[in-house]
Amino acid sequence: MFLFIFIAVPLVVAGFLPLVSRVSKKFLPDFLANLCLVILVAASITTFKLWPGAGSFSHKIFWFGDSLNISVVLDGLSLLMIFIISSISLAVGLFSIDYMDKYGSRAIYYAMFLVLVAATNGIVLTSDLFTMYIFIEAAGLASYGLVSLGKTRDSTEGAFKYLILSAVASSFILLGIALIFLTTGTTNIKEIASVSRLVPKLSVILFLAGFGLKSGLVPFHFWMPDAYTGAPAVLPALSSGVFVKVAGVYAMSRVFFNVIGFSYNISSLLVYLGIISILVGALLALGQTRLKRLLAYSSISQVGYIFLGIGTGTPLGIIGGLLHLFYHSIFKSLLFLNAGAVEYATQTDESTELGGLGAKMPFTSTTNVIGLLSAAGVPPLNGFWSKLIIVIALIQIKMYFYAFIAIFASVLTLWYLLLIQRRVFFGKLKEQCENAGEIPFWMNLSLVGLALACFWTGVVFAPVILKWILPAANVLVEGIRSSINTFIIGGS
Amino acid sequence: MSNDSILLLPIILPVVLGIICFCIPERFFKLRNFLALLSNFVLILIISGLWHSKTIYYVSDWFMSTAIFSLKADGFSKFILLWISIFSFLITLYAWSKMTGSKSRQFITYLLITCGFACGAVLANTLLVLLFFWEALLVTLYLFIVLGGENSYRTALKAFVLVGFCDFCFILGAAIYWKITGSFDFPAKPVQIEGLAILSFVMMIIGVTGKAGALPFHTWIPDAAIDAPVSFMAFLPGALEKLIGIYLLTRVCFQFFHLIPGSGSSIGLMTLGSLTIVIAVSMALIQKDVKRLLSYHAISQVGYMIVGIGTGIPAGIAGGIFHMLNNAIYKSALFLGAGSVEHRTGTTDLKSLGGLYSQMPLTGLCFVICAAAISGIWPLNGFVSKEMIIHGSLETGYRIFAIACWIGAILTFASFLKASHAMFFGEKNNKFSNVKENNFSIVFPMGVLALLCIVFGLFSRIPLNAISNSVAVVSGHDFSTHALNLFNPVSGVTILCLIFAFLLHRYGYLKSGKKAYLASEVVHRLPVINTLYNLAERKIFDIYEQGIRFIRVFSIALYYGFDRSADWLYERLVVESGVKAINALRSIHRGFVSGYVAWIFAGIIIIIIFTFAF
Repeated sequence: MFLFIFIAVPLVVAGFLPLVSRVSKKFLPDFLANLCLVILVAASITTFKLWPGAGSFSHKIFWFGDSLNISVVLDGLSLLMIFIISSISLAVGLFSIDYMDKYGSRAIYYAMFLVLVAATNGIVLTSDLFTMYIFIEAAGLASYGLVSLGKTRDSTEGAFKYLILSAVASSFILLGIALIFLTTGTTNIKEIASVSRLVPKLSVILFLAGFGLKSGLVPFHFWMPDAYTGAPAVLPALSSGVFVKVAGVYAMSRVFFNVIGFSYNISSLLVYLGIISILVGALLALGQTRLKRLLAYSSISQVGYIFLGIGTGTPLGIIGGLLHLFYHSIFKSLLFLNAGAVEYATQTDESTELGGLGAKMPFTSTTNVIGLLSAAGVPPLNGFWSKLIIVIALIQIKMYFYAFIAIFASVLTLWYLLLIQRRVFFGKLKEQCENAGEIPFWMNLSLVGLALACFWTGVVFAPVILKWILPAANVLVEGIRSSINTFIIGGS
Repeated sequence: MSNDSILLLPIILPVVLGIICFCIPERFFKLRNFLALLSNFVLILIISGLWHSKTIYYVSDWFMSTAIFSLKADGFSKFILLWISIFSFLITLYAWSKMTGSKSRQFITYLLITCGFACGAVLANTLLVLLFFWEALLVTLYLFIVLGGENSYRTALKAFVLVGFCDFCFILGAAIYWKITGSFDFPAKPVQIEGLAILSFVMMIIGVTGKAGALPFHTWIPDAAIDAPVSFMAFLPGALEKLIGIYLLTRVCFQFFHLIPGSGSSIGLMTLGSLTIVIAVSMALIQKDVKRLLSYHAISQVGYMIVGIGTGIPAGIAGGIFHMLNNAIYKSALFLGAGSVEHRTGTTDLKSLGGLYSQMPLTGLCFVICAAAISGIWPLNGFVSKEMIIHGSLETGYRIFAIACWIGAILTFASFLKASHAMFFGEKNNKFSNVKENNFSIVFPMGVLALLCIVFGLFSRIPLNAISNSVAVVSGHDFSTHALNLFNPVSGVTILCLIFAFLLHRYGYLKSGKKAYLASEVVHRLPVINTLYNLAERKIFDIYEQGIRFIRVFSIALYYGFDRSADWLYERLVVESGVKAINALRSIHRGFVSGYVAWIFAGIIIIIIFTFAF
């Protein structure tokens, strides 16, 4: 029953928020939403402490004594994702206390925010493919709403494109699930896993397209830049930090490793698409001058890294991919929130119009540098370790060219992020930026917290790997092992 | 072998107190100065307490046994440590009055830290520890010189580069030495100088003599004499650098390597020493500023020490080390004296000074005593050590080195006659009629050092015994056989040289119209020497300046030849092709949803083909 609070509490609070907003427009929605997020973070840490380190739990939902056919399942991978979701949501929630001053309709924003959080928690806690699909749709709906909260034409257009392309993706996923149901007769993950040889290859491709689109894998990434540019900066932080990871990477990994069974084909597909994403994302980001669009392309590039790591299929590669998933949420959210802070201070996010903000906004500038160095993979910050492990995993299986490209893209990442840092924060103060002032307290707190997290997780990367990532990787590696058993050895 | 962590105290106590003194605010300067004095005094007490014990060791694991931190205090180290602490004490006392304000705070800090690091270098028993402290002294050297004024950073940089280069050579020598012996520890048995060891030996000699201030890495010292505070000049180039430099030279020649008297390396060392003596003292002769004059003499005296140690004969070695001690004593006293005059009159230019003896009798007396000591007049200490060195160099069989020492003696005496005459005797300058003697804290160190000159001269047995006992441990020589018979033909030649110098000075004085500071013009205006002097004043022979010129040309050539072309290549290849790729990709992302969906389906079809075909 305890696990259910991850889904129930945000949903309930989200339901009450529009009513609350009649009473208090600013304070109560802020307080309630952030309280809920704090509860979630505390719950995830408690779950971690209570969890014995391996194995999975499922809780059936009881409704007045009758057991419903719904259960929530927790294993190592879900635990990692829950922690990521809660902590990044808390950071973004704190940030939006002051940030949403400029956007109005605070309660509606928090309501959609919490629905997104609840739905993503649902995705990771479910054991049934169709339930997963429902939660993905719910989360998607919340994101479309959040994208359109921006007050410009860009945001409506971005929301529309996101909606259309996401609908295409959802239909692919649904089709894939339908095919599986057709051939195996069930949508429960464990049951499908035991008869995974019946799953048709077409559904693999459909899932690749569908989840790939949700995660921003090339060539399914097109919605990301347009959606992120128009939205208020909290959305890209949430989406790229949480939703992409869960609905995209988690779902794809779960389906490919634990449901369908990992195979050489899937591995090469993921690796190729990963490498192409890395390069395309980095190159496109180099040509950008708008902050959020550049960071969106950067997200595409980093998701490529994650898939490259996971796609190798080796334990080290999976560890590297999951570590990068974790660390990327932290530093990418930091970078997006920084872009939001800049936008808050100067009303623009076009970097050619900005300059010399470092003098006016020292905290933002510093946290941006930390985020930048993390993203580029500079020791001792966190991005270095995750990229290093991915590169080592690639070298381990003798894919030297891919390792070289991964390192090369690191240089590109540093390049474009440094360009932005130089243009926006360093240099001479431009006239439009005269009025810029340092950002308010909660935004600052959130940014500094994320920056410290970057630093801390970089320094203590070893315990992080051992305690958080290794159990998650083990789940996926178990999936590979059982698929080897199923396909090659012929057992079950 | 006792493991005594008291050996850490000479290193840690001054450094920690130096940092504390740095943090004491300016208002409590009396407290700070007192604390510094106290620390130095305590250090002297500690070392004298250790004096009579046997060799003490301190070994500890450092960085998990990859490097051993090992200190050793044998007789020689203790001897040097004692003198380092005495000089620190005296200079701290001197700086109480001489340096004021924020400079005083920094000076005391650097002094204490330098003292600590120098003790560390002297106590080191492994190459790594030695190198660490040796190099660390560079930092305080730089900081000291920067204290002198706004423009002294140039000289500070020059000092840093020159001494740093020497230290770098020493590191190379140490690395090769490690390769030869296979361990970082100081060896039990010296290595013969042949093959690869020659390179190591040469590198180490460059390192050590450069640090001590011999040719050709000496050019920063005269510049520092003008740009840096005088108390610094008395402390580092006057005393400390000679102490630790010659200490390490002794260890290098006799503990690391086996210097055979009469061998190539011995002759090489003596040549270096002789050149240093003659060239530096000639430059000293013509100087018109007393601080520059003193600094050139400091360089020249190092030559004597190198000649002494280079002989490889007990008499010479003992003489060289005794000379090191004596030089530290009288050279720092001379610098302190010049500083004392500067403190009252504001200048050290020989032209404007004169006749100060009646107004500053104590300073004058000390200065004259030490000037006599450095010139080698009996019965002061300089005479004894110089005689020993000359004896030693004659014993090697090559007379040329003794001749160089004698030429040095002539010119030394002549220049000091000039300096003392111009400063303390002769015509008075009306500007300085109000000048009085300095207070206790300035006069006391000078007085102590002058007294030591006399004592060590008359009772030279005492320090000589101490030296012989301590150096014998290091070099394994038998020092008991040297006898010093003062009234023999060699000292007769020396006395003749002194008389010649006196006549030379008198001649120059009279010829220049009774102006003492022009007394050396006689030598200056000699035909070939004149050109050489002019070139030297234009810094043609200064390797640092020439080096800077070369580097400038070299870097311009590199810039146009290499850097610009690499840059062009980068522009053409990387930037332009990158821009083309980026633009191609950007043209796909036009913003039309239908295009995006088309790309998605295209992607799916490609993946299907890929999956089902392979």
